[in-house]
Amino acid sequence: MNQADSGRPTRVDELIDSKMMARLDQIDVVSRKIFSGKIQGERRSRRKGVSVEFADYRPYVHGDDLRFIDWNIYGRLDRLFLKLFMEEEDLSLVIGIDSSGSMGWGKPDKFLYAQKLAMALGYIGLSNQNRVSLFSYNDEGIQLLSNLRGRRRTSELGNWLLQQAPRGGEGFESAMKTISGARSGRGVMIILSDFLYKGGYEKGLRAVAGRGFDVFAMQVLSPEEIDPAGTSSFTGDLRLTDIEDEDTAEVTISPLLLERYRRNLNGWCGNLRDFCVRRDITHMLVDTSTALDTLLLDYLRRRGLLK
Amino acid sequence: MNWLTPMTGLIVAAIVVPLLLLLYFLRLRRLPKPIASTLLWMKSIEDLRANAPFQRLRASLLLFIQLLIIILLVLALMQPQIESSGRTGGRRVFLIDNSASMQSTDSEDSVTRLQKAKELAIGRIQELHGGGLLGGMPGEVMVIAFADGAEVMCPFTDSSRKAISAINSIRPTDGRTSIAEAMQLSRAFTTNPNPDQADRPVKEPAILELFSDGRIQDLDGEVLRAGERVIYNVIGSPEADNLGIISMAADRPYDQGDQVQVFASIANYNPDPADCTVQMSVNGTIRAVTPEPVQIPAAQVNDQGVFIPGIEQVVFLPFEQPRNAIIEVALLREDDLAVDNTCVLVTPPERSLSVVLVEGRSTVVKWVLDAMPLRSLDLISGSEFDAMVAEGELPEWDVIVLDGHVPSEIPPGHYLSIGPTPPVEGFNQYGTAEQVFVQSIKQDHPLLRAVNLDRLYVGSMNKLAPNSEIEVLAESVEGPLIMSIDRGGLRMVHVSFDLLESNWPRLRSFVNFVANALPWIATTGEAASYEGLTTADVITSRVPLAAQDVTIELPDGERESLLLTTPGSVSWGPPARTGLYTLRWSMPGSDEEMAKEFAVNLVNEPEGHVQADEELEFSVDLVQGRFGAQQIWRSLWPWLIGVAIAMLMIEWLIYNRKNRLKP
Repeated sequence: MNQADSGRPTRVDELIDSKMMARLDQIDVVSRKIFSGKIQGERRSRRKGVSVEFADYRPYVHGDDLRFIDWNIYGRLDRLFLKLFMEEEDLSLVIGIDSSGSMGWGKPDKFLYAQKLAMALGYIGLSNQNRVSLFSYNDEGIQLLSNLRGRRRTSELGNWLLQQAPRGGEGFESAMKTISGARSGRGVMIILSDFLYKGGYEKGLRAVAGRGFDVFAMQVLSPEEIDPAGTSSFTGDLRLTDIEDEDTAEVTISPLLLERYRRNLNGWCGNLRDFCVRRDITHMLVDTSTALDTLLLDYLRRRGLLK
Repeated sequence: MNWLTPMTGLIVAAIVVPLLLLLYFLRLRRLPKPIASTLLWMKSIEDLRANAPFQRLRASLLLFIQLLIIILLVLALMQPQIESSGRTGGRRVFLIDNSASMQSTDSEDSVTRLQKAKELAIGRIQELHGGGLLGGMPGEVMVIAFADGAEVMCPFTDSSRKAISAINSIRPTDGRTSIAEAMQLSRAFTTNPNPDQADRPVKEPAILELFSDGRIQDLDGEVLRAGERVIYNVIGSPEADNLGIISMAADRPYDQGDQVQVFASIANYNPDPADCTVQMSVNGTIRAVTPEPVQIPAAQVNDQGVFIPGIEQVVFLPFEQPRNAIIEVALLREDDLAVDNTCVLVTPPERSLSVVLVEGRSTVVKWVLDAMPLRSLDLISGSEFDAMVAEGELPEWDVIVLDGHVPSEIPPGHYLSIGPTPPVEGFNQYGTAEQVFVQSIKQDHPLLRAVNLDRLYVGSMNKLAPNSEIEVLAESVEGPLIMSIDRGGLRMVHVSFDLLESNWPRLRSFVNFVANALPWIATTGEAASYEGLTTADVITSRVPLAAQDVTIELPDGERESLLLTTPGSVSWGPPARTGLYTLRWSMPGSDEEMAKEFAVNLVNEPEGHVQADEELEFSVDLVQGRFGAQQIWRSLWPWLIGVAIAMLMIEWLIYNRKNRLKP
């Protein structure tokens, strides 16, 4: 049982309010790559398709649309060439939420924070006519919500998020393999997780890296995890129980122990960041005590996820 | 090492040490706290535990120090003391020597050895009863003071107040040091009275704690029994300084009865020669002083290990003293023992004896008596003597010589009895023996001075079995030949054979014997004596039958009333202190108070040897002495507590060092 189950939001407006929505209307998701989509969108694609921007010529072959034959070339060279245009595609925005038990911990609750962040990012995607997909994962499997498009799908997005709850163990590696294998399109993938996987995060990230996704690994940690010394709950002799696997660690809180913890946390996060950098994945550490609008309007803009 | 409260510490250790180990075996009871992941904590904690309630005991410096601290505290609770003579509690007999040598003042603060012994004994009792609330059951203590004899000052008691009071009540004496009676007394309280279990103690064996300077004169005759343990607390210094008068005599020359000549022997107990001036006083007036200090040779130890003091004789020139006198010889030199520096004698007035010879069976006796300067010599028959006795009109003869006559009754008086056994209780004749020779004699007895009995042959003698009141002076294999009895008003020397049945009349020793015997018999028990008394003697004197208000005045001026247990005779003593004792009485109808003086001296050579003995030899058992200064029992618990605190600080430092943040 997660500590914040009783305080889970039940309405969409608890995830995002109109004021926030109004502020997010001015923001769009930035992709460092040009992606191919299934339908025409507002985004330039590397695929040659139907648009007003000329890209190249190629010889006509049987079956090509006669409307794109450049008759002027035919007049000069007496050969049929087909005009190729840069196709404008929609952006595929995939948001993955870690719904393992460990996310339902912290003050503020990491999963709630991830819900609100996913809601905001999803809304930005929907409002910019991007193709938004969400999935949550734990050791029980993947919950998927695919291909939302348009602002009117905001409610559907919110309701899906409200149905998710943190429970069970980690399922990061299998979820990432599943997602990377199932997604045919390309786009931006944002993974919201604490990345505290005892089985390791390397295989999971390796599965999504290099598959065309512009991957953002947003490591969501609560203040108690970032600095236990700053809270009053970590004092004395404690029997720490892992809420995922019920593993226990008996500790006597001391300055030395806290210092060692901080070093291990920095080492863990540093290794994750290095791993991401080497695989062209953007790593971002998100403190749940950070106000959401500050995160969206300031931090994520500076990190290039939003514009 | 002694433990005042061993059981308390052991009980606490039995509780606390397992608890500490259990704490290390058990995991700490910690506050449960769910967290997102133990991933990072697992890497951080070093006291990660398995989920089992018990863990393997790991080598831990902190555990070692904590165990050490607990052990130190437990040891402190047990209240250890160094210089222990054994266990606390139990039964102890404190044998405190209060003989003359214990009056030596050889300590730095000039306190007598007896006082030191008492302080040490009291300290021991306080230690035995120490420990406060944790002290457990105190031991039982019996206090015995001994010198010539022994006195139980306090039977076994667990009350320290009673025991200390008993010790404080011990008074010094000028007696010799004899431990036999003290050992008998202590054994009487500790030995099982059941004859079948005589070799078993009553309860548990008592420890005998001896507080003495070790100069015990009858130590050779004592043997420690199985289970007996003696702790010898040496009181005094082995380098004590002492010179003493070991004998003194006053004599009236044979041909000058109105003069007195004084002799004294001075002993030097020191390893170096010494000199001292000797002074003689008569009735409190200095009469003579040696013109030069008397040189006394150093004491020596012979090849057999026997201590022999250096001795020098001092003879003063005869001086005219027809009347009785109190003569004092004093050494004008300060040493550690003052009591043997003076010696007093009360000499009787010039006097010759009146003697009666009853029956006169052997003319040789009459010849000898005729040759003596007697005041009078009467010759009567046995029937005349019996008639006088029957009529109660026996004249006041100084000595009555019974030569072969056996009276029907022996009234109080002074007798020399020769031949048949007189009707005196205690001689116990049981037969006769023939052809006997002398086996042993008491050569140091005044009666046998210059009496050589080696050539004495007795053809026939009466076999006697004398009781303990009778002193045997010469003995053959068939029984005693010469005896003396001193009981009440009766003084008698008895020869158990007929002179005519022996060759004694033809020997010179017989003449010497008679010459010795008459003055000795006549003067024994009189107030004035040429020999003086010792602290072991009983003051005995004849007084008129009608005497009343008989008292004895002690040297310190205190008076004690005496009861006439035997008509015409009083006894008192033995006197504990040296000095002049005065017997006083009055007669009915007369206000005049009569008096007799008795001089009591410490003329005992071993007692003057005040150099403390560092070990005692009970026949075969050698007991090493412990000097009082080393016997202070020191409690170790404050040190243990201090070390424990230090260890606690070390543990605190180690703990903080292990948990300290590194910059």
